[in-house]
Amino acid sequence: MTCNEIDWKGYALGELSKSERTQAEAHAAACSHCREELAATRLTLDALSTLKEEEVPRRIAFVSDKVFEPRWWQRFQPTFAAGCVIAAAILVHGFAQPRLDQTTVQSMIVREVANSQQKYQGQLEAILDEIQKENRLDFIQNTGMVRQ
Amino acid sequence: MIFREVEDRDLIAKARRGDVEAYNLLVSRWEKRVFNYLLRLVANREDALDVSQDVFLKAYQNLPKLDDPAKFSGWLFRIAHNEAFSLLRRRKPEIDLAGEPRAEIERGLLPIELSLAVESALGRLNEDQRETVLLKIYQGFKFEEMAEILGCPVSTVKSRLYTALDLLKTTLAPAVIRGEL
Repeated sequence: MTCNEIDWKGYALGELSKSERTQAEAHAAACSHCREELAATRLTLDALSTLKEEEVPRRIAFVSDKVFEPRWWQRFQPTFAAGCVIAAAILVHGFAQPRLDQTTVQSMIVREVANSQQKYQGQLEAILDEIQKENRLDFIQNTGMVRQ
Repeated sequence: MIFREVEDRDLIAKARRGDVEAYNLLVSRWEKRVFNYLLRLVANREDALDVSQDVFLKAYQNLPKLDDPAKFSGWLFRIAHNEAFSLLRRRKPEIDLAGEPRAEIERGLLPIELSLAVESALGRLNEDQRETVLLKIYQGFKFEEMAEILGCPVSTVKSRLYTALDLLKTTLAPAVIRGEL
C-alpha cells in the first residue's frame, strides 16, 4: 500500500472500516511522511474543536407564540365560501325554477350576495378592530407612550 | 443519541397529531444546534436567528411530509441548508465572508485566540466547503447523511470536506504548534 492510497482524513474522522484502519496503521508505522500527515490532520481537528457552541441569544419562538399565528388575511377566507353559496344558490334556483326570467334571477343573486356580505361583515369588522388594536399597541410600545 | 432519537420520534408523532407543546419541546432540543450551524454558515447573528426561526416554522408546516421520523435531524438540517443558501444567494454581492487573514494566526495563540483563528479560517473557506466542516465536525453527521442534507453525491461531500481540511490545515496546524496547544 502506498501513501496516496491511504485516506488519513477519513482515518482521523473515524470513517474507515476496521480493516482499512489496520492497513493504515501498519503503513504509518513504517512511514514518517504519513505520520506527519496524520498528526497535522489531528491538530487541525483539535483546533476546530476549540470553537464552542454559542447559546441562542433569544429563544426561537414556539408554535404557540404569536409569530406562528396566521396573519389576519390568512384567517379571513370567506370570499370563497360566499362565492360557493352564491353559485349553489344560482344552480338550485336554476334547476328548481327553470322558467324564471332574467330580472328575477338577478334580484335573487343580489339578495344572496347581500346576505353573504351581511354574514361576513361582522367577522371582517372584528378582524379590522383587532388589527387597529395591534397597530395601536405597537405604536404605544414603540414610542413608549402610555395611555393617560 | 439513541435515547434522543427515540424521544424525538415520540415528540414528532405527538406534534403530527397537533400537540403544540410536543413541537415546542422539539424546538428547545434542536434550536442550539441549528442556530450554531447557521451562525457559522451565514456569519451573522441576527440572520442566523431569523433563519433559525424560519427553519422551525417550515419544519412545523412540513412535519406531515417527513417520511421517516428517525431521519428528523438530517431532514431538519436539509431545511436549514436550503434556507441558509437562499439567504446567501440573496446577499451574495454585498458580503465577502472571506475577509482578511487575522494577525493572531501568525504568533503563539491562547485558547481564546485559537478560537478566533478557527473562526477566521472557517470564514476563508467557500460556503460549500465550510458547510461540510460544520456538518461533519460540529454536527457529527455521517457522509451519507451529509449527502442527503446537501443533495449531492457522497464523493462530492468528501471532496469538499477534504479540500476544506487541507486549507484549514495549512492555517491552523502550524498555528497550533506555535501556540504549543
